[in-house]
Amino acid sequence: MNSVIVLILGFAVAFLGYRLYAKYVDTKIMKSDPKRVTPAKMYMDGVEFMPTSKNILFGYQFKSIAGAAPVIGPIIAIQWGWLPALIWILAGTFFIGWVQDYSSAMIAMRKDGASLGGLSHKLISPRARIILLAFLYFYLLLIAGAFGNVVVSTATGLKSAPMAWLFMTIGGILAGQMIYRWRKDIILTTVITVVIALFGIWLGSVLPSDRIIGDTLANSRWLWTILAFLFCYFAAVLPIWRFALPINYVASYIVFLGLFFGIIGIFILHPNITLPAYTGFTIKIGPIWPIMFVTIACGAISGWHSLVSSSGTARQLENELDARPVGAGVMFVEMMLAVFALVIAGTIYASSAEYGAAIVKGPGGVFAAGVSKFLGALGLPANTGRAYGSVMMIVLAITIMQLVIRFMRIATSELLGDISPVFKNAHVGTIIASLLGILLVVTGWWQYLWVLFGGANQLMASLALMLVTAYLMSEGKPVAYAFYPMIFMFVTTIAALLYTSYNLLNKVISGAVKGEALIGNALMGVVGIFLVIAALILAMEGIKAFNRYRALRIQTAPAKA
Amino acid sequence: MSEKEKKKGGFFSAVKEFVYGVAAHDSARFAMKTRASMEHLFILITMGDMLGVPILPPYYSLRLLPYVVPQISTWKRRMLREKDLTDALA
Repeated sequence: MNSVIVLILGFAVAFLGYRLYAKYVDTKIMKSDPKRVTPAKMYMDGVEFMPTSKNILFGYQFKSIAGAAPVIGPIIAIQWGWLPALIWILAGTFFIGWVQDYSSAMIAMRKDGASLGGLSHKLISPRARIILLAFLYFYLLLIAGAFGNVVVSTATGLKSAPMAWLFMTIGGILAGQMIYRWRKDIILTTVITVVIALFGIWLGSVLPSDRIIGDTLANSRWLWTILAFLFCYFAAVLPIWRFALPINYVASYIVFLGLFFGIIGIFILHPNITLPAYTGFTIKIGPIWPIMFVTIACGAISGWHSLVSSSGTARQLENELDARPVGAGVMFVEMMLAVFALVIAGTIYASSAEYGAAIVKGPGGVFAAGVSKFLGALGLPANTGRAYGSVMMIVLAITIMQLVIRFMRIATSELLGDISPVFKNAHVGTIIASLLGILLVVTGWWQYLWVLFGGANQLMASLALMLVTAYLMSEGKPVAYAFYPMIFMFVTTIAALLYTSYNLLNKVISGAVKGEALIGNALMGVVGIFLVIAALILAMEGIKAFNRYRALRIQTAPAKA
Repeated sequence: MSEKEKKKGGFFSAVKEFVYGVAAHDSARFAMKTRASMEHLFILITMGDMLGVPILPPYYSLRLLPYVVPQISTWKRRMLREKDLTDALA
């Protein structure tokens, strides 16, 4: 099939989903009301609660949810064939993905801007909130591990990446200094720092890391893992304006330009998909159900989005009608990002064997080769294009990673601060989070780590859908549009986590793995089992809440009659 | 301004806002959060006098009070709002 047809199919699904299904839910079930005062207006504090234009929020939501996952997921999932991957990306987003993003924002807005923790306390039970927060810590650890692995495999596999990454960091730090300390013009700052980042990409292509530090260091996973987490350490402990934010600022232009010109490149080249449509039900990492469903991750549905929608976006929506373009609309754009990644993986290799040889080294190489090909259609040299793709991959992963480590630092302080004051220290919390992340990256096989992350991520999504269902029941609204996706995602993700954890722990118990792999398998397996137990307890709490709401409706029904 | 020009302006302003949302909105929010934290600290210092508990020499506190008064209602709301870990994410 031609790649342009795939893109057009994606646009058609996005159009129908947004204009018909999302509009139906928004007007008939949620009954969004432009006259209802939103928390952004009601509790305006000029900081967190702030009425903001839907166009700005569209950009904010997109930037917050579009990390590495919608790109990497389809690149890995094409191992089962491009057709099942494409069907799940389109159907998953159409029936489940946008439902979760939009509804999380809506219920947070209707419940005074409460975060997911607050919503689970209000809608389910106080215990649900505590379990959810513990669940979140390990979920975030898996994000740090999976994304850390992507950064490291890209830095070791593509030798032009480290230089580009270094210059991006320098450009970012300079941007922070120029904006916040020297008070320079924002346009001037942007031009200078983006040019520095672009120069780094070019320099990386002519001066790769192995020519500077030698083969041994350039290929050392330990070195790049430590550097990646050192980067996150600075992001977590330094004032946010000095390091994390300005680097993200410069990086956002690099990613945006790459995506924009990459999509133009696809239309110019309009290549055919060369990989097979379907390869088989079971491959090395597992069967198509449930493993492929969780591998696609954010391209179809992601729990991360519900966190952003509830804690961030819902407090800034100035009108209930804006929830659909921001919550649902951005999810459909993210779906297109996943389709773009699928096209990249499906068109750049002549055969499955060639793709297979590339994917074992990590998804970064596949993505960079694709970006290079499509930017090449606009005249960019292949080497520079590959450096551009590699830094895009690193940026997409590390911007989320640094946020996750920062959050884990706060979580350590909140959860363990009462046991000993030492855990309230910012450096201690960051070091604990970083060490756990390093352990996962160095010892875990990246494909298993990715599946576990995908499972935890979509399990988080099913828990968010549980909150949506509880809200709908409490309000006496039809629940089917959220309830069935919740059941499907819950069963799928629990099956995926159990399957992967069993495989990992089985290898540990049977003695099939030794050394680093033994530690990695044991750690990943235990984290997977913990997440399943936490999710089951939450599900039981959820069922109790559902029964409570049902009983309440039965009690109130005769009175209404 | 014709309808066509209005539409054109609307489109460019939407693109401008989108780019701002992607690149800078988060930075602006964090800058505001930092400022709000500083203001809360400031209110905490001057609030003693308002309640009749002298913490700083009253002369300086009274000089500062006019700057604090407009912020009190926001401060109360932020202080009293229930918070948890998930608030730190966005």
